[in-house]
Amino acid sequence: MSSESSKKRKPKVIRSDGAPAEGKRTRSDTEQEGKYYSEEAEVDLRDPGRDYELYKYTCQELQRLMAEIQDLKSRGGKDAQAVEIEDRRIQSCVHFMTLKKLNRLAHIRLKKGRDQTHEAKQKVDAYHLQLQNLLYEVMHLQKEITKCLEFKSKHEEIDLVSLEEFYKEAPPDISKAEVTMGDPHQQTLARLDWELEQRKRLAEKYRECLSNKEKILKEIEVKKEYLSSLQPRLNSIMQASLPVQEYLFMPFDQAHKQYETARHLPPPLYVLFVQATAYGQACAHRKSSQPPRQDKMLSVAIEGSVDEAKALFKPPEDSQDDESDSDAEEEQTTKRRRPTLGVQLDDKRKEMLKRHPLSVLLDLKCKDDSVLHLTFYYLMNLNIMTVKARVTTATELITPISAGDLLSPDSVLSCLYPGDHGKKTPNPANQYQFDKVGILTLRDYVLDLGHPYLWVQKLGGLHFPKEQPQHTVITDHSLSASHMETTMKLLKTRVQSRLALHKQFASLAKLQAAVVLNPGYSSIPPIFQLCLNWKGEKTNNNDDNIRAMESEVNVCYKELCGPRPGHQLLTNQLQRLCVLLDVYLETESHDDSVEGPKEFPQEKMCLRLFRGPSRIKPFKYNHPQGFFSHR
Amino acid sequence: MERAAQQAVPLGQMEVFQALQRLHMTIFSQSVSPCGKFLAAGNNYGQIAIFSLSAALSSEAKEESKKPMVTFQAHDGPVYSMVSTDRHLLSAGDGEVKAWLWAEILKKGCKELWRRQPPYRTSLEVPEINALLLVPKENLLILAGGDCQLHAMDLETGTFMWALRGHTDYIHCLALRERSPEVLSGGEDGAVRLWDLRTAKEVQTIEVYKHEVRAHPTLCPPFFLPGHLRCLHLLLCSPPSQECSRPHNGRWIGCLATDSDWMVCGGGPALTLWHLRSSTPTTVFPMRAPQKHVTFYQDLILSAGQGRCVNQWQLSGELKAQVPGSSPGLLSLSLNQQPAAPECKVLTAAGNSCRVDVFTNLGYRAFSLSF
Repeated sequence: MSSESSKKRKPKVIRSDGAPAEGKRTRSDTEQEGKYYSEEAEVDLRDPGRDYELYKYTCQELQRLMAEIQDLKSRGGKDAQAVEIEDRRIQSCVHFMTLKKLNRLAHIRLKKGRDQTHEAKQKVDAYHLQLQNLLYEVMHLQKEITKCLEFKSKHEEIDLVSLEEFYKEAPPDISKAEVTMGDPHQQTLARLDWELEQRKRLAEKYRECLSNKEKILKEIEVKKEYLSSLQPRLNSIMQASLPVQEYLFMPFDQAHKQYETARHLPPPLYVLFVQATAYGQACAHRKSSQPPRQDKMLSVAIEGSVDEAKALFKPPEDSQDDESDSDAEEEQTTKRRRPTLGVQLDDKRKEMLKRHPLSVLLDLKCKDDSVLHLTFYYLMNLNIMTVKARVTTATELITPISAGDLLSPDSVLSCLYPGDHGKKTPNPANQYQFDKVGILTLRDYVLDLGHPYLWVQKLGGLHFPKEQPQHTVITDHSLSASHMETTMKLLKTRVQSRLALHKQFASLAKLQAAVVLNPGYSSIPPIFQLCLNWKGEKTNNNDDNIRAMESEVNVCYKELCGPRPGHQLLTNQLQRLCVLLDVYLETESHDDSVEGPKEFPQEKMCLRLFRGPSRIKPFKYNHPQGFFSHR
Repeated sequence: MERAAQQAVPLGQMEVFQALQRLHMTIFSQSVSPCGKFLAAGNNYGQIAIFSLSAALSSEAKEESKKPMVTFQAHDGPVYSMVSTDRHLLSAGDGEVKAWLWAEILKKGCKELWRRQPPYRTSLEVPEINALLLVPKENLLILAGGDCQLHAMDLETGTFMWALRGHTDYIHCLALRERSPEVLSGGEDGAVRLWDLRTAKEVQTIEVYKHEVRAHPTLCPPFFLPGHLRCLHLLLCSPPSQECSRPHNGRWIGCLATDSDWMVCGGGPALTLWHLRSSTPTTVFPMRAPQKHVTFYQDLILSAGQGRCVNQWQLSGELKAQVPGSSPGLLSLSLNQQPAAPECKVLTAAGNSCRVDVFTNLGYRAFSLSF
């Protein structure tokens, strides 16, 4: 290392040493060019101790020579002394040179030493770094190992059955003894498998047991109820002496409360109430072969606030107090602002059309469990009765568009008797009253107040002869009674027939076709777009079969042109559409979860009902053979 | 017919007819070329159109690049299914399977290489072929369709080796389970049947509409656990159950996909994920419309069917995204994963229209190719 670098390094070395360099520079250069002299190699060869001794010896010699020169110079005598002085001078020069060399060598040694130390230090540093890296890695790996070792898979939390039990009980295709005996991993997997199997079985058992338990609980409930209902029957049997009176007591209790409320009803509503209750009881008795707890076909109830009804008949002292209060109020209001004429008129109208706070509610039950709810109101100032109707069905109706109005409260009771629209007031005296407050006709208020049908008035015993206006109104029970039965029957038939019509509308399958005709008909064919309303709305966006039907008439129109010049295209297309609709409805697959026969029995001969990924129906007609297949 | 409004010259009969055809076109099948740069699409008129994906995806793509490079009449009836081997395009529809050389098609030479018809039992009506499946290790092509059987054809010799019977109604779809190797077939009778290819026998039948899912779908354990542990994990959680069957849709199985341990199937019943070894359904995907095509992709399940959207599902049953396409209903999805053309890696979807939607990124529809 030193041999090859010394050629370059020598000048550097001398330069970095500094002071004793100048005189020697040229000499060392010539030396360098001439022979190969390496001072650094010399350093390695020389012994530092001996160099030190040499240094000391040289210093001593120098001192001696200096002393001798001093002596000689102080003695005087020029010639022989001059030679000796010269001699000694030369010697001291040589010694100086030696010193310089030694100095250089010392510097070189120092540098070498430093370099070596530096190198060693670097090596040590590198190793140290490596050591630290490795230590860090070791630590990291140890952490990872501990993490892995600590990993608790969920499966370890499960208590598995012991090994002997496992091998005894598990079927061989799960326990796989040959494989699992040797390999603990497979064994664990197999045990977990078995665990899964067992858990599944147990879950099954658990469910079965739960359902059993439910059943048993229900049975217990039923038996408990039976037992608890036995008690009053036992009571009634025990009181054998008054069986008829006990029986009379029960309905009397309920009816008693109703009669209490009924005392506050206005006369027409009272008549209606009495007659309706009587009719209802008569109907129930008619079917006396059935158990007495059967639901009544006609049930009557009274709605509304009894307190308000009572308030209508105020005793005089109260009204005087009210009047004084209201006088005071009026004075105050006149100071603020007078109500306008319009508002005053409105108030008068409202007063005129005021209803009695109590109303009678009749529920008429039909055979298919649909109920007609009738609410009867009495308009006090006009002396007429009105009715509001509502139909509720046992199952919810899907309303097709054309059947929307069939059961609307406005029109369901219209024309029950011929000519009875329920839009005009039947009391001729009302006309004069209306003129006073600017009401033209009751028709505008009918939606709010209910319809004043003629039969409603008759049920309430109100009789309005058409010829003259009457001031006094007689409420007649006999009128009501005579009309009750017929009207009830008519109402029932009306509801049932409307419901049946509704159902029929809903079940009709309607195909709507929009046609675009080009002026170039029939060389340019008309284009159809179809929409089927049956069990929901189906178009070519959500039903592939509608798209196929459109394709049959739009794309395959050449088959439908008919004899030349093809003017029958449109009719043929429409006829084809009818046939396609038939095929569609007849081949609709029957939904197994719904009971009942198929709505459209299959009459057409088809080879296969569905084909292809889109499950298209057979729309192509094969002419002479007469069956349907796919394109 | 939008073109009629734009042009001033009245259209001739031919253009009207073509426009009507395009309006009522349904694309049933797609297949990617072995080089990955071309897409073949087959429609209900029996035509196959070849689109150049690399041209349509390049930055200088114009409107013409989205039209087919070449269209030819392949079959008389609809082309229900297509697959590609490393040199051929196989298409099947009305009863027979035909082979075409990709190299020749790309040069616009449209002559079929060969055609074969599997041995059918009845001759009254030719049954359609709904699904083709390649088994590369055994060089087999499996066909299934209207005659309720799976036929296996050796691709070297062209002979039909065996036929598997078991389905009681026609077969919609096939899938290959590579590990066993087994073939899964789903049909109109509502059953998914597994057949072992080596013994040519039925291994298992799953009647999807009879099952219900016990486990709660959101507590799905991580996918890397082996199947046994997953089931155990699912059983450890408390289960409300969901029915697979939807009687108003029917019981037909329209689509199948499998990755050896798991299977996803849909159609009339709800789209469900099954664990095959224990034959239990683990997740019901809450999608009301019947699905017609389903596939596994990375850690998602992609499905499409009635309805405009391509649905992306997590394995836990959650809907990750619904990306609308341009057709009112979709029948086929194709993922171009050919290693030779990574720049053409797209998802294409086609169905009840003349357009093929191209999705370069699963989040949105980039553009549509059109017949």
